[in-house]
Amino acid sequence: MKLDYDLFWKKCFPSAAAKFFLLFLAFLSFNAVAQSNVTIKGKVTDASGGGIPGATVKIQGTSSATASDVNGDYSISTSLRAGSYTIVVSAISYSGASKAIEIGNQSVITADFSLKDDMMNLDEVVVTGSTVKETRRQLGNAISSVKSDQIARAGSSNLTSSLQGKIPGAQITQNSGDPAGGVSIRMRGVKSILGSSDPLYVIDGVIVSNASNNVSQAALSNQIGSASIGTNRLADINPMDIESINVISGGAAAAQYGSRASNGVVIITTKKGATGAPKVNFTTSVSTNELRKKVPISTYGKQFGFAGLRLHTIGGISAAQIAANPGTTTVGIVRDGVTTQLANNLVDVTRYDYQDEIFRTGIGTENGLSVSGGTDRTNYFVSFNYSNNQGIIKGTDFARYGLRTRVDQKLTNWAKLSVGISYTNSNSDEKANGNVFYSPINSINISNNIWDITKRDAAGDLLAVEATRVNPLSTIEDMTFNTKVNRTINDFQLNLTPFKNFTIDWLFGIDAFAQVGRGYIRPYPYQAAAGLPAERYPLGYASTTNNVSTFYNTDINAGYHVDISNDLKLNLLAGFSYQFSRSDISVSSGESLSPFIQTVSGATANITTGYGLDRYNLSGYFGQATLGYKNLAFVTAALRRDRSSKFSAEQANQLYPKLSGSLVASDLGFWKDGGLSNVINTFKLRASWGHSGNLTGIGTYDRFWKFLPVNFLGLNTLVPDATLANPNIKPERMVETELGADMSFFKDKVGATFTYYNQSIQDLVVPVVRAATSGGTSIIDNVGNMTNKGIEIGINVDLIKKKDFSWNAGIIYNRNRSKIEKLGTGMLAITTVTGAPIYLIEGEAPSVFWAIPYARDTNGELILNAQGFPQREKGVQNGAYYTPQRDAQGQPTGSNVNGIIGNPNPDWTGSFTSDFRYKNLGFSFLLDAVQGVDVFNADFRTRQGVGIGEVMEQELKGELPRGYVFANYLIEEWRVDNGSFVKLREVALTYDLPSIGKLNNWRVSLIGRNLVSFDNYRGYDPETNAGGNSDLFRGTDFGNVPIPKTFRLQLNASF
Amino acid sequence: MKKVIIFIFSVFVLSSCEDTYLNPSTASETQTVNSQAGLIAMVNGLQSKFTTTRAGGIYNWLSADGLTTRSLKVLNAGNTEELQLETGGASVLNNNSLINNLWNQSNLVKSNANLIIANINNAPDPAVKSGILAAAHLYRGLALGTLATYWEKAPIQVAVNAPFATRQEVLQEAVKTLEAGAAAYAAQTPSSNFTTKVNATVNIPNTIQALIARYNLMLGNHDAAIAAANKVDLSVKSGFSFSDVAQNPLFFVSFGNTNVTELLANFGLPTGVTASATDARRVFYYNTTAGMNPARASFFTSNQSQIPLYLPGEMILIKAEAQARKGSVTDAITELNKVLTKTTDAWGIGAGEVAYAGEATATGVLSEIFKQRQIELVFSGQRLEDSRRFGRATTERTRSWLPYPLYERNNNSATPADPAF
Repeated sequence: MKLDYDLFWKKCFPSAAAKFFLLFLAFLSFNAVAQSNVTIKGKVTDASGGGIPGATVKIQGTSSATASDVNGDYSISTSLRAGSYTIVVSAISYSGASKAIEIGNQSVITADFSLKDDMMNLDEVVVTGSTVKETRRQLGNAISSVKSDQIARAGSSNLTSSLQGKIPGAQITQNSGDPAGGVSIRMRGVKSILGSSDPLYVIDGVIVSNASNNVSQAALSNQIGSASIGTNRLADINPMDIESINVISGGAAAAQYGSRASNGVVIITTKKGATGAPKVNFTTSVSTNELRKKVPISTYGKQFGFAGLRLHTIGGISAAQIAANPGTTTVGIVRDGVTTQLANNLVDVTRYDYQDEIFRTGIGTENGLSVSGGTDRTNYFVSFNYSNNQGIIKGTDFARYGLRTRVDQKLTNWAKLSVGISYTNSNSDEKANGNVFYSPINSINISNNIWDITKRDAAGDLLAVEATRVNPLSTIEDMTFNTKVNRTINDFQLNLTPFKNFTIDWLFGIDAFAQVGRGYIRPYPYQAAAGLPAERYPLGYASTTNNVSTFYNTDINAGYHVDISNDLKLNLLAGFSYQFSRSDISVSSGESLSPFIQTVSGATANITTGYGLDRYNLSGYFGQATLGYKNLAFVTAALRRDRSSKFSAEQANQLYPKLSGSLVASDLGFWKDGGLSNVINTFKLRASWGHSGNLTGIGTYDRFWKFLPVNFLGLNTLVPDATLANPNIKPERMVETELGADMSFFKDKVGATFTYYNQSIQDLVVPVVRAATSGGTSIIDNVGNMTNKGIEIGINVDLIKKKDFSWNAGIIYNRNRSKIEKLGTGMLAITTVTGAPIYLIEGEAPSVFWAIPYARDTNGELILNAQGFPQREKGVQNGAYYTPQRDAQGQPTGSNVNGIIGNPNPDWTGSFTSDFRYKNLGFSFLLDAVQGVDVFNADFRTRQGVGIGEVMEQELKGELPRGYVFANYLIEEWRVDNGSFVKLREVALTYDLPSIGKLNNWRVSLIGRNLVSFDNYRGYDPETNAGGNSDLFRGTDFGNVPIPKTFRLQLNASF
Repeated sequence: MKKVIIFIFSVFVLSSCEDTYLNPSTASETQTVNSQAGLIAMVNGLQSKFTTTRAGGIYNWLSADGLTTRSLKVLNAGNTEELQLETGGASVLNNNSLINNLWNQSNLVKSNANLIIANINNAPDPAVKSGILAAAHLYRGLALGTLATYWEKAPIQVAVNAPFATRQEVLQEAVKTLEAGAAAYAAQTPSSNFTTKVNATVNIPNTIQALIARYNLMLGNHDAAIAAANKVDLSVKSGFSFSDVAQNPLFFVSFGNTNVTELLANFGLPTGVTASATDARRVFYYNTTAGMNPARASFFTSNQSQIPLYLPGEMILIKAEAQARKGSVTDAITELNKVLTKTTDAWGIGAGEVAYAGEATATGVLSEIFKQRQIELVFSGQRLEDSRRFGRATTERTRSWLPYPLYERNNNSATPADPAF
């Protein structure tokens, strides 16, 4: 057992690298064979004879390839052994073409190609993982692509949010409106209970981390339950560097990424240089971020009881309070059979809307410059980017600058080297996360608004507000939380074609980042008056956190193409990969700061420090065979074997099989030549079945029973973890069946894709609850089973397609049903501090809201009590469900019961896009919808109870009876809102300016983002999550910063 | 070409990077229980688990005790778990976090102590072994006694579907385990190799005897209670100590602010029981500074405040009560007067009142003993047990027994039915 060094560098890397170089040398000697020099050139045109720029021209089975120029002309100079070859041409929106040539003595061969339109892009070569590329035609799985122009139009500096509404099968949620807030992607539902459902992200073959590490806010690490807060680290990626994104929602990548593929794989390809003169691309933009909508905060100048009465709407009043405050009158309100005296007299107060003090209009700028070009043998792309975005909460911002370089070098005519290097530096200034009461929004929600928070004492310090509450301005002025990140993502790839039809690729990727986080809460000058509890750090707090994470992956893939006959072709693929992950995190924090000191160095109490090391590796082999018939029918079979250090020796080796097939029926003779092709011109059927795993389903050390060190009175202390472990736990396994079709109709005017999937996640890892009398309170074990079933539909229509005038519209519709088939334990509560009653219940969707429901009659109407108030349900509880009971008067009777009161999993999600272009003018928009979803709006109730909300105001004015808020207060269903929305996610107006000299391509755009939301939500925005990037703690609104509406003015120029 | 393919194949197959990564920041069970140092660290772990954090034993013990007997009052209804216990009756749900925590921590302290006791032979030094054994038995006894104070039944065994024993059996087991601890300590006084490595403010031999006295009184073994109480050296303080890192949880969570709970006026005495206005213990237990939590006094003035394991007054009152219940009223009054008239003790508690002048009957003396226990031991976690043992009206408490936690019921088929009140 190795404790203190990384085996990768000592053992695995040298062996893998040495072996590859041995191979390389072997080929060098092997390839000393006579070759002839030849130039192949020609023109690629569309049906109307116009040249197609950017078409890929490749000599099949070799490394010789190029792209056509602006006129569609291409030329390849290479040296190849004499023999017969096939030239293959592909271009986006066109079907592919190929031509056989014979290389002999001639020095120039001419081959022209005329391509047909193909909306479905069946001949597009897409990266399906690591160095592996396949044509869409032969894929048995859905794979959706997003191109750079779609990203550019989003008006966001965050890559993940730029994808909202653009990927079938993905629900992309911006969890917070903070400039450094997280965005989560879930494809085809939740896949794991203990682990992450975040897909695997691969940039140019490098597996990159999208972890959310909270390094800035160590202060609240124990105060937020299972919420996963902080920026997810894809925020380090500059969207302008992205060429395309391929999203594999299902198991297509299972062969390449077996035990990490079950959450889907997002394959990101960055821009490359093309042969030709240097091309400069410059983008600059300025944007504004504003609060889209305020929540109703009452400024009605009345209050029940007396000014000093806390929680005046719901707080019972004692005889002593009445005596001390003459004029106080009360009314008895009966709730659950108990009468509480509530004050019902009104007194005058002055109310303020504190929202005005914490929100602002934020300004953002983004500038990017890239230069690309190259020669026959060398291509390059370099870019620089700087963006700075202010949040709508005062004092928050996110700034990032990054450099990226890619160099492609042809070494010989059979060897190519590609190197990508990138560096990003980011800085985020944050305020406390919404889960704590010292966050800007929560501090407003939990304080009565009868204090002028801007008042200061002689020293200029803020004054106390309601007892135990933080002055909202303190959260802005006297607290800073900051994260700085240095990150580099690099890849080194050798692509060899040692002999015809044989390729071997080696890729080494590294993603390394260092995060430094700092938190500071100034000692509250008004603590003596406010009496703040310890969790708000009354005497001040400071922390620093360092996290250094490194991820390597090295892949060797070999491919061999065999022409069995003219009609029958076989593609063989085999590969080995090794992945290693290491994170070192250290935290130190302390309280009771000396005056003026803002760091932990000034702490004089509760100084703690800790260190965590997380390491795991994974190694695997795979083999894959694809048999193609007449380039229209394909069958692929693959098998992967993975081994991970997260599991014991008995469970470490896992096999993942996969089988898929596709049939391009429209290429069959009868279809192509018959009348059917006039109506349905492309028709591809696909089907796949495969296994994949979820390595993150358990933590690195979860199979061990931990004896934890505790900082206790300076004594050596170990406490056995209350969570027991199963040393023989195994990885979760997803078995997925997927069926689908890709079609285009009416001469390629309408394109449609349809996918049905059925995923079954077996050996689901569950923190099984144990009776404490068994020696632990839970054990992590494979006892569950979960399914995700759904459909994904994409429709794209070219309404008008003329040279100067085009209009294209698209629809995406996704429907997913997730269900916990077997939980293997009683109901599981997901811990939150928000009051959101989030549970996992067998037979229900993963995470539902389970708590106190209203008593309702058979028509669903509320049953009111004798005083006319709604009341909680009573009856008989059966596990998670209940049977209501009524007495003779029809009133609820029996025991208090709980039930499912909401579901944060949407019925469906979808989007509608329209892209309209007339001459130089373009107009596009994207509507993004999430429907049939519930949000636990904790803040809504809090505002009423604290006595600042709109329902409270109605009660004050007598529009609602006195006691209304009180009567509803404990019924959790009151807090469940319909969170369905349709958002105008993007709207963009672009104008291509006329060329000035060399400046032949420049464009000005006005982009709006999140301008309008159509919803009935009683808060800022139903698209929110106090759980941050957590997969189970979802749909909860608690102190969250709303997503701003953004206007951006952008100028692009290229020359 | 064949050669090349074979070569490639061999490259792929030969690559192996098999290894195991361990967590350098945690220890394993094997490591811990097989070493003397590991067992000592586990002893400190027992105290840490029982005493620290809002989820630990002490916070939930003292809070539940005060809330169910109306000496503590919830200040902010947002503390719904505390509020349930204050309201009591059917409002106390099975998933109440105070109940869960008290049950879980007591049972886990018991099972962790079992683990230490089972592996005691891995401590080779006899003068360390005896200390580990005595301390493990002390916490095991305290855990069992705590369970028997709040639940009618509880398992003694640690097992899946552990059978439930009656509280009498649990208390008897607690006394038995404490006596085993006392015997280990008596057989070999622990050396500084042990005493310097554990929290010195917990006096092991005196605490063991004090708990034996307490639980024997609960069992009605009056002679055994008196005998054990007599063995306790009243001049010795024994307390759980805390630090600014491992904070006194009552101060940290509740009494350091005015948002969770506070001590009611007049020690939360039931109607008809009144404390003398001049009783010096008011000064001891109450903070009268405006704006401060009234309970921010004595044992709860800061994160570092010590919480006593037992008070000298408790030992005296145990003797008084046991004598009274045996019918030795005169002896009972003698003991009772020691509490009434003392002006200070090891912890600085003194009523400074006059001697007992009431009826010299068992009933009269017992009712005064009850009152003195309510005042002297207001934060000793004895109030619910006292309320039951003295046969007080159920209206003076919000529950007589706590319901069994939902997680226990769902995962242990032996869980008995919940008491109605």
